[in-house]
Amino acid sequence: MNLRKSLMVWLAVVTVMALVSGCVATPPQASNSATTSTGGEAAASSEEQITLRWANIMDATAQEQWALIVDAYEAENPNIDIVAESTAGSGAAIYPDVLKTSMASGSPPDLFFMWGGSIAQPFIEADQALDLGPYYEQYGWEENFAPWVLERISSDGKLYGVPYHARGMGFWYRTDIFAENGWSVPTTFAEQEALCASMKEADMYCISLGGKFGWHTMRVLDYFLEHHCGPEIHDQLNRLETSWSQQCVVDSYSTFQTWINDGWVTPDFLNVEPNDSRFPFFAGEAGLVLEGDWYEGVLKNNEQDVANYSFYLPPTDQEPLRFSTFPEQWMIPVGAEHPDEAAAFINFITSAETQQAMFINDFSSSATVGVNPDCEEWPLSCEWREHILGAESTYPPTDQAFVKELMDDFFEVQDTLVAGRLTPQEGADLMQQRVEEWQAQ
Amino acid sequence: MPAKAIGRVTFEALSQSPLLDQGEMAHMATIAKHNEISKQRSDQMRRRRPLRLTPYLFIMPALIWYLIFLVYPMFQSLVISFMDWDGLSANITYVGFANYRNLLFEDDTARQAIRNNILWTLGTLLIPTVIGLLLASALDRDLRGRTLLRAIFYGPAILPLVAVGMIWAWMYNPQFGFINTILREIGLGSLARGWLSTFETALPATFVTAIWGGVGFPMVLYLAALQAIPKEQYEAAKMDGANGRQLFFRITLPWLREAHVIVFSLAVINSFRTFDLIYTMTYGGPGRITQVLGTWMYFNAFQYYHAGYGAAIAWVIAAITLVVAIPYIRHMSRE
Repeated sequence: MNLRKSLMVWLAVVTVMALVSGCVATPPQASNSATTSTGGEAAASSEEQITLRWANIMDATAQEQWALIVDAYEAENPNIDIVAESTAGSGAAIYPDVLKTSMASGSPPDLFFMWGGSIAQPFIEADQALDLGPYYEQYGWEENFAPWVLERISSDGKLYGVPYHARGMGFWYRTDIFAENGWSVPTTFAEQEALCASMKEADMYCISLGGKFGWHTMRVLDYFLEHHCGPEIHDQLNRLETSWSQQCVVDSYSTFQTWINDGWVTPDFLNVEPNDSRFPFFAGEAGLVLEGDWYEGVLKNNEQDVANYSFYLPPTDQEPLRFSTFPEQWMIPVGAEHPDEAAAFINFITSAETQQAMFINDFSSSATVGVNPDCEEWPLSCEWREHILGAESTYPPTDQAFVKELMDDFFEVQDTLVAGRLTPQEGADLMQQRVEEWQAQ
Repeated sequence: MPAKAIGRVTFEALSQSPLLDQGEMAHMATIAKHNEISKQRSDQMRRRRPLRLTPYLFIMPALIWYLIFLVYPMFQSLVISFMDWDGLSANITYVGFANYRNLLFEDDTARQAIRNNILWTLGTLLIPTVIGLLLASALDRDLRGRTLLRAIFYGPAILPLVAVGMIWAWMYNPQFGFINTILREIGLGSLARGWLSTFETALPATFVTAIWGGVGFPMVLYLAALQAIPKEQYEAAKMDGANGRQLFFRITLPWLREAHVIVFSLAVINSFRTFDLIYTMTYGGPGRITQVLGTWMYFNAFQYYHAGYGAAIAWVIAAITLVVAIPYIRHMSRE
């Protein structure tokens, strides 16, 4: 009896310990390397053997392709050994947590991949990302990238990252289905809605969505906000400089509910994985998906005939015609062991010479000006490049404008609207209430 | 009279018994004296014995591991739960009980999570336990293929919950999922819906998966307990005219008391630690309707950069688990 009692008590205690010990980290000490390590310093002696830890989200295929570039760099720099630490497949859901843990434990990588905007911001605000200003001067990086890309990754006028990808998003469609039905690419919002109505009449959904995680659905709401609010107010909403409880937000929510109630959106999509939204689209059951320039690669990987697909920028009835774009970047942690060598490696992999000489699929969305994919092999990516790097103005996806906590409030309102548990006005009021609560924190 | 009994009952008390004769009294006196001398020698040896370090050296590696990786982080997380800290920077501020106050009185999602955890616990205590007991009773009989059936029913319990969650999320897919497809095939298409997309069904649908994966463990425990019941008791009861119901409630259930202790306490503990299924199947959504304390702790500590608040949630989970589990275990142990 005593043995059993002891066993059960210990079992409970150990469980509790495991539970609470999992939620712990050590506050790191502020590192001096941000102030002492600059691009002007000489890199380590070529005699010294250095291992550069490179955190990224590349899957096995991408890593295989990148091996070409890494091998070339190591051949040029025999004292450098590049070790990739990949957290593939998780997207922005887990990878930032992995990085955060490594930094909090005092063992950050030497360089790391990061999205732009609010996903990178916590690392900057926590003084964990190195100000790369001196390296920009040393390597002349500013000349290499489109101005909007640099603007989007800057924080308080400082650059903490080097652009890697410049992404843009629009409506993808099946050209064969459009031709069969005599549909043309819409140029106004009214034409867009008329197209959706026609698709419904043809027993198709207008758009396929994967609502799990929220961000796939968010793209459509972002489009409606751009249409109803216009560029200026849309940007103010993203910066929380104006109230969310205003008519154009109500109109956006209302349009979204109309699209759902009219059966233009694939049903019960709230818990569908974003990747699974492609299946109704491929099968011709849905006419559109709101995806990015990377989708040509997705089509090829899924053995789709790329000749049957094309894209267009969602018509907003606004001037200029803006679409959603976001950059991805390379950053160096404040606690990096070899920041100068990391900067040299970033310089190598982002330079137009390297990317042109050793072009891999990953460079089809390169942020570096002058790097273009083979337009015969990647016709749609080529077309996207012109839009993305030549854009007069673009808007960020809301999840790169809001911090994650506020973003989840946005997603909660969004899901509740989809479920019809809120009216558009109630949704706008609730969103504003969440914003105020967050600001009060 | 066995000598062992003398140790428990005093010689004086026994000597009053009218049932003992003179010879037995003398024999018992000898045994009692012998026991007394043995006890005195044993006490003397214990007092004289030097402290032996060897056993402590053997447990030292495990103890060090335990202290470093379990006890130290645990107490550090307790300290952090009284802080405002983003989990990354060197800026850390003492806020007293603010995190706990916020969790218990201000955070709507935390309240939703606690409600979900309570529902999950009640459901887990009732449904998988009862099904496990029924399955164990059925498979305890002399049945052809029972080993295979036991393996089939226990199978889900050994699968990683993340894999289970992903498989079931696919099965629930509103467009091509197995469940809706079957419903449509058998003419019940009107019942087909987005099980995980609908606010009303998301948590119950996730719980169905938990039942599927959670039946095997109580089944195995009950099966082991059932096999330990002496068959003679059933035979004797039957000879006395007991019916099936009486056999179950008067013999089977009392013999399963120890299994109940383990099954119920683990059900409570595991219910408040629920994370994997919710994370993989609903990600806390739609909205935040399926958030439980485990996922809400994760979201706060790792995604919202509120390490202090996340640690406070972890300690609240720990406290609830202890408050529920330990008194129950003690009570059952006394029984």
